[in-house]
Amino acid sequence: MVLENLSSSLKDTLKKIARAMFVDEKLIDELNKEIQRALLKADVNVQLVFNLTKNIKERALKEKPPAGTTQREYLVRIVYEELVKFLGEDKEEIKITKKKPFKIMFVGLYGSGKTTSISKLAKYYSKRGYKVGSLGLDVHRPAAPDQLEQLSTQVKIPCFIDKKEKNPEKIYKKFEKEYSKFDILLIDTAGRDALSSELIKEIKSINKLIKPDENLLVINADIGQAAEKQAKTLHDAGAITGIIITKLDGTAKGGGALSACSATGAKIKFIGIGEKPEDIEEFNPKGFVSRLLGMGDLELLLEKTKDAISQEKAEDLSKKLMKGDFNFIDLYDQMEAMSKMGSLSKIMDLIPGIGGIKDKIPKDMLQVQESKLKKWKYILQSMTKKELEDPEILDSNRIKRIAKGSGTNESEVRELLKQYKQSKKMMKLMKGGSTDQKGMEKLMKKFKGKVKF
Amino acid sequence: MFKFLKEKLKNAISSITKKVENIPIEEKVQEVIIEKTPEKKEKVVKEKQKKKAEVKEIPEKEIKEKKGFFEKIREKVQTTSINENDFEEIFYDLEVALLENNTAVEVIEKIKRDLKEVLVDKPIERKKIKTIIQDSLRNTIEDLFKVQGVDIIKLTKTKKPLTILFVGVNGSGKTSTIAKVANFLKKNNLTSVLIAADTFRAGSIQQLEEWGSRLNIKVIKHDYGSDPAAVAFDGKKYAEAHKIDVVLIDTAGRQHSNVNLIEEMKKIVRVVKPDLKIFVGESIVGNDAITQSEEFDNAIELDGIILTKSDIDEKGGASLSISYVTKKPIIFLTTGQELKDIEYFDKEKIIKNLGI
Repeated sequence: MVLENLSSSLKDTLKKIARAMFVDEKLIDELNKEIQRALLKADVNVQLVFNLTKNIKERALKEKPPAGTTQREYLVRIVYEELVKFLGEDKEEIKITKKKPFKIMFVGLYGSGKTTSISKLAKYYSKRGYKVGSLGLDVHRPAAPDQLEQLSTQVKIPCFIDKKEKNPEKIYKKFEKEYSKFDILLIDTAGRDALSSELIKEIKSINKLIKPDENLLVINADIGQAAEKQAKTLHDAGAITGIIITKLDGTAKGGGALSACSATGAKIKFIGIGEKPEDIEEFNPKGFVSRLLGMGDLELLLEKTKDAISQEKAEDLSKKLMKGDFNFIDLYDQMEAMSKMGSLSKIMDLIPGIGGIKDKIPKDMLQVQESKLKKWKYILQSMTKKELEDPEILDSNRIKRIAKGSGTNESEVRELLKQYKQSKKMMKLMKGGSTDQKGMEKLMKKFKGKVKF
Repeated sequence: MFKFLKEKLKNAISSITKKVENIPIEEKVQEVIIEKTPEKKEKVVKEKQKKKAEVKEIPEKEIKEKKGFFEKIREKVQTTSINENDFEEIFYDLEVALLENNTAVEVIEKIKRDLKEVLVDKPIERKKIKTIIQDSLRNTIEDLFKVQGVDIIKLTKTKKPLTILFVGVNGSGKTSTIAKVANFLKKNNLTSVLIAADTFRAGSIQQLEEWGSRLNIKVIKHDYGSDPAAVAFDGKKYAEAHKIDVVLIDTAGRQHSNVNLIEEMKKIVRVVKPDLKIFVGESIVGNDAITQSEEFDNAIELDGIILTKSDIDEKGGASLSISYVTKKPIIFLTTGQELKDIEYFDKEKIIKNLGI
């Protein structure tokens, strides 16, 4: 995640603030040093970092906290606000106009992930009801058209390419009549570096011809201090309107990519968080900083839930849950929806209050849990409809068969069954109105050590 | 590469020199008299560290010689000493210069440690401060690059076929690098075969095939989604049967944090047993260079490194970072889009380029 390691050191510093007797210059300096170290380690441009901490210090020393707020709380707020400002304040979505087609062009360095990002956005917009097409103008890298073609087939959108033509402008003109059939046209360009004047000339002329509605800079999360110059030159060649940071699923913090924001004045629109077409997220600075400071991001969680599960289904399920009669089919639906939302650790980041706990859970444990969920899915897939609807009928014969069919073993099937029975019991207890303090305590006692999350 | 760093370093060093020269001289004649024996000296030094800056006494050896009083005073004016606090302050400029150059924080810390050793609490002749800093920097950097190089041409004489596995994160330029290496081998009259073991990324097999046809070199491939280890194994068998000198294996880009993909890579290594495992990394990567190369090294123990996109990079910090972490030689730099754009990594040249 962007600036993830910032998160743990920042949280520690914030704790320190909470414990401090009063806010003085020394404390602020200490906090600033911590922020500087974390940001520099995350490849953020040196100048940007110093500006940020300078602002924090100035505000912290000058401004008086409003009534009812302690100076300490106010300091945390200043840090939050300055970080949000740093990351571009409000979320700024790409507004797809009625113009047909709405042209989105992708530019960037070699290997930054332009083509992959196109397939992700194609899926993102198709899902939202737009008719999307892609156009391949990368004439330099061998087999670039093949890549776009294969990815387009994967996400089921039409793709315009010409494997033989070496002039991008000619390719664009060749298919010009087709474009108006689409709501959105995603345009792939060749990777280029800012120091190659020839390639910069090419992108300038493409820009002039196509006049894209959005010109997105695709940038690697692991890029270092070189980002600023690259972004600036590409911006000069054709105004950049937004930024996509890719490969944030690695350990890179994406700080270099932030330099690109300040160099171009453009905001981060999307972040790429994996290899698959659905691994893309809208970027919301406020939610992001909340996550950074361990405050969770409910907005994104809701968004993800919406994507994964329909409204009716959700209501249906919650009714069933409250009634205490839910079966394996519901459990399966739930698990499907979960996996659509992303990995457990990614979801946990979004829930307020949980982010902090996550640091304490060993990473392997989450992985074990995740692979367990996968196995459960196979087990459920190996059951008959009757078994799914009425798990009570599972006897040792059936369990043996299911274990064989799903490639698991009997104890794993039994574990799933046990978990199911436990949750059912819990639902019943909750339904029984024992939601008062005492009842809850009883409930917690009963399940202590049993529920494995 | 390194153009930017060179300038920055120059500025930083001159600013440090100035700072050191400005450290005021405090005359404390009494101390000098007390500090005649080494035992007492130690005690005084400890007390002295608390003070911000001061002139320090002459080296031990000279004390033993019991120099004349006036002699000592003269040396005092010409030499100075830096304590820990001063050091932090003066190193700051250099630190920022290195950070701006994409050098990973860990490496900067090493440079700092080394420099501290020669500077802190040592008598330093005022005029020599610049040389001392430069020497220390050069030593550190030489140290970073001090590993046995890999000569692929020579290795082909001892092993046939020589199997080389290329690994790296997504988009670092593995496929293009392989084409360049194949071209380099061809120029040295060595035959090679390209193996498309990247069965995941769309278009990867076509990309390698395209290079193969341009170079007129055989490409061994399976379908997308097939087991990369199996493709690599087949390719090696082909090379053995056709008496080909070098096997070049292209693998899918993978994030080092993805456990399953790292396991897949380990499997390729188990099955094919490559003679060289080369990490292909970008010169423009920042602090993550450390984690990336370290994780790959931990997983399969690398034999060497190729840095790509060096033509984009004016800074060169990544080469310092990766060398520091992996202690593995950087074999080649790739410097452009053309097949010929590959050159040996020459540490002498780089140190010279740094102007230190």
